[in-house]
Amino acid sequence: MPRLTQADLQAYLDEALSPAEMAAIEAELRKQPELLKQLAAINARRDAGVHSVGEIWRRQRLSCPSREQLGSYVLGALDGGMAEYVEFHLQKIGCRLCLANLEDLRRQQQENSETVKTRRTKYFQSTAGHLRRKKS
Amino acid sequence: MTAPRDADSLLVERIRRGEGEAWDDLIARYEGRLLAFVESRLGRRGPSEDIVQESFVGFLNSLPNYDGRRPLESYLFSICAYKLTDHLRREGRRPAVPISSASDTSGDWQVSDSARRASSIARSSERKQLEEKAIEGALREQIDRWREKAEWTKLMCAELLFVRGWANKDVAEQLSITEQQVANYKFDFIARLRTLIKRQDLSEEVFPELYADG
Repeated sequence: MPRLTQADLQAYLDEALSPAEMAAIEAELRKQPELLKQLAAINARRDAGVHSVGEIWRRQRLSCPSREQLGSYVLGALDGGMAEYVEFHLQKIGCRLCLANLEDLRRQQQENSETVKTRRTKYFQSTAGHLRRKKS
Repeated sequence: MTAPRDADSLLVERIRRGEGEAWDDLIARYEGRLLAFVESRLGRRGPSEDIVQESFVGFLNSLPNYDGRRPLESYLFSICAYKLTDHLRREGRRPAVPISSASDTSGDWQVSDSARRASSIARSSERKQLEEKAIEGALREQIDRWREKAEWTKLMCAELLFVRGWANKDVAEQLSITEQQVANYKFDFIARLRTLIKRQDLSEEVFPELYADG
């Protein structure tokens, strides 16, 4: 894999890389504290409104497969070219949001429905109070 | 990405009206992917669920400011990323990064000699959104065209160059094509974007990487 790029650091700030790459960058940051300056410089550039094509591409998810396509990928139902691209997007681009969707789709096939129901009920009960406040 | 935006817009409208059933639907639709997102970094289920919960509260609190044109999934992920980052900082796993290095004179942010100091081109947020929207449109059009023609190598090439920031040589090696092919794809892609920038009267200064070689 190529060395750490500016685009990697941009994605790091947005929690947008795969967990393994995020951890690798954190290890580099501990070894090379001067990288922090580069991260701060990226923030400054963003503040000033300098655009990066890659940041726009990633932020707007311009090439991310849809959730349905990821579902087909899990089932092995995508055609050759598209399947190869999805694999590339997940593994080489390390798209964190697509990786999360993929993991969720895989878990849906394995997780106990009672566990999921309990978790969702907990989320609802702990947050619905904020919903009611918005209503009043 | 094709997002079910209409369904999401209706859902958000109902949540804005305080409908509990709609809120339940949103949780059911998105909690799994948010949990997977957080847990992949934390590796622990309990704290991960807490962060997802905080993200849902954050979403409800920010609802008055939510721009419905933005995909709901991306918005929820961005809130979740923010909460996760905060958690990782508190755990000491993630370093605190200054929000701005405007006072830093190292000039590291400069992409090329043609790029000016960021502060000299500061302008309105409306202008920035307009610029981003224009580039987004051009990129989307190009990506859709590659997909329709099944030109996957060109898509992968551009994505490695611009999203990952890889050098031509590394891209060529990864995709088993020549460096000359990478250079040609890159040239065509940049030329198209430059044309659009010119046609829309956008400032070259705010897209330094597209003019780095010129």
